[in-house]
Amino acid sequence: MAGKSPVKKAASSDSTPIPNPNQFKPPQISTKFTSPAVKSEISSIPTPTPVPTPTSRPPPSQPSSIDADIIHVPSHSRWFSWEKIDSCEVRFLPEFFDGRSPSKGPNLYIYYRNSIIKLFRENPSRKISFTDARRALVGDVGSIRRVFDFLDVWGLINFSASSAPSKPTKDTANNNKSADAPSLESPSFAATTSKNSSTSRRFCGACKSLCTIACFVCDKYDSTLCARCYVRGNFRVGLSNADFRRVEISDEAKADWSEKETLLLLEALMHYGDDWKKVAQHVGGRTDKDCVARFIKLPFGEEFLGDPYSKETESVFETNKRMHLTPLADASNPIMAQAAFLSALAGAEAAEAAARAAVTTLSEVHDTTASKGGRGSLARNMRREADISSNGDTNLNAPGRTYVDVNSLLEKEEGDIERAIIGITEVQMKEIQDKLVHFEEVDLQMEKERQQLEVMKNLLFIDQLNLSFRRSYALESEEQGVDNVKADVF
Amino acid sequence: MKPPASASWKAPLKFRMPTAENLVPIRLDIEVDGQRYKDSFTWNPYDPDSEVVMFAKRTVKDLKLAPGFIPQIVQSIQSQLADFRSYEGQDMYAGDKIVPIKLDLRVNHTVIRDQFLWDLNNFESDPEEFSRTLCKDLGIEDPEVGPAIAFAIREQLYEIAIQNVTSARENRINKKGRRGAEHFPLSKAGGAALDLMKLFNFRSSVVRKRKEWDYYKPILDLLSNEDVDALEAKEERSGR
Repeated sequence: MAGKSPVKKAASSDSTPIPNPNQFKPPQISTKFTSPAVKSEISSIPTPTPVPTPTSRPPPSQPSSIDADIIHVPSHSRWFSWEKIDSCEVRFLPEFFDGRSPSKGPNLYIYYRNSIIKLFRENPSRKISFTDARRALVGDVGSIRRVFDFLDVWGLINFSASSAPSKPTKDTANNNKSADAPSLESPSFAATTSKNSSTSRRFCGACKSLCTIACFVCDKYDSTLCARCYVRGNFRVGLSNADFRRVEISDEAKADWSEKETLLLLEALMHYGDDWKKVAQHVGGRTDKDCVARFIKLPFGEEFLGDPYSKETESVFETNKRMHLTPLADASNPIMAQAAFLSALAGAEAAEAAARAAVTTLSEVHDTTASKGGRGSLARNMRREADISSNGDTNLNAPGRTYVDVNSLLEKEEGDIERAIIGITEVQMKEIQDKLVHFEEVDLQMEKERQQLEVMKNLLFIDQLNLSFRRSYALESEEQGVDNVKADVF
Repeated sequence: MKPPASASWKAPLKFRMPTAENLVPIRLDIEVDGQRYKDSFTWNPYDPDSEVVMFAKRTVKDLKLAPGFIPQIVQSIQSQLADFRSYEGQDMYAGDKIVPIKLDLRVNHTVIRDQFLWDLNNFESDPEEFSRTLCKDLGIEDPEVGPAIAFAIREQLYEIAIQNVTSARENRINKKGRRGAEHFPLSKAGGAALDLMKLFNFRSSVVRKRKEWDYYKPILDLLSNEDVDALEAKEERSGR
């Protein structure tokens, strides 16, 4: 162990080397964290898995000159020390710590780990390969390989070594059916930084493919697997099917518009207007359909285009239908969303005019045909709308009318249903209340009866006592009487 | 202590390596397109099969061998594993077996020769641990010696275990009695074991006889480069 080189954590050009051969935990931490340059092929794939240590953006440049005496270690491996075993080591390499085999204990792990690291540090500019390590260590190659991979992934060996990355391709191997194959793939992605930590696109830890429909997340080891790998059992040692929980991607992906993307979307809309392809391009990463859908869902998206119509209809509908607190362009009412969208597209005045015309015609139609009371009120509402909006006629009349019509029907239905449900629940509650009252009365009666019984019991007891006293008294007096008689006789 | 002469017949155990870790010694000697790859290591038979492929790929990559090696390596490893597993279900007699293990290895510049006794009954024994300690005690600097020693020990133990299995099988076939199992000439090692048992009776002492000291002492040699080259050339010639 002679000539232990001082270790510098978090290699960044502005941090100073710490010449401290005995203590490998640096007292100062540079502000910028690094991602291992070696793992360039991995860091190009963003990883969303919850990282056990702080993630960061990849630094613009690695320190170009690496002194022979200073060993660089990424900040997420700060925990390393020669004598101690950290909890993440226990997590990722449980075989040494679960006591399954008596000779495979923590000492063995320390021996492997320290020897591999020592071997690497003898020549830090050269990457050591697994075969080198394996040849130098006594033990079965499987465990050595796992320790080696673990150290490699965590940057404790082969970090910022100058030689070309020779990370063996594990992708093809991972596609074999096994329960153990990519034992360290998930921590490898957990450890590396993510470029887009803002997006939550899920990449499978095992096969590095984008997870589309659903993925399986294991919280114990912070790993993510795509559905295929999960089914195949491509998870690491110590895990079973039960440890994973299913996470739907489709909901995530759709709802997961970051602020940035929304901003880009709105920008693009300002520039390009209708050309959704260009908008999608500008946003980057979303198809044009996604952009459209997102725009519709935006609660205030129309504001940017200055469409007063939508807002007015919003408020009107809100006052009339208290149950619907959602604004007009909410996705829960897709037809309304469509209407809002179309109106936005068509332009403010045209939409206004169309809606007004549609509403007036509709109300006329409703008035003429004998309709239910609800419809009538609806017609009244619509007439009120017509008063607010101006008059006009455009070619959007027909579809606008049908939209409004259908929408009104829908809303009426919804209102009816809700009222019915409310009625039912009230009735049920009343029933329950009645029952409660009834039970209370019964209870009261029982109480009264019990009290009466108590009283009777007491009386009975007193009677018995009296009787027994009298009897004994009578007996006594009898005896006395007899004695007296006798006495008299004598 | 049991009197040594009694028939200490033990119930047949399931075959396994008589060590704490049930690891298989694997030896590879493959030649593809003029490139020769010789290697030996220990393998955990409970690792899944995908490990074999991964290991082969990594090794080929690390050693920059031709890609034609990969399937051959995989095949060789798998066949040796299959052999091991074929023995696995069978019985093996484990009597009071103390066998001498001999080491006669040349690893790079280091030559080591040694002989020691090993208790086959001790299923907690660990050749890896032994090898590590030996290297540390002898101050061997070449890190490749350790695994080679462990491997040699394991290989010999494996062979003995295999012989035990075959002898058990033959015993059943021959239907010899219990004593027959003891006196059946298993192998040279078995013969040696019996002799040693006689040694450990109450009449003789445990201390080794002086004339045997030389045999049981580890001999370590460091060769110079020329010697290494010469030896390698000789081995190749004898190998071909």
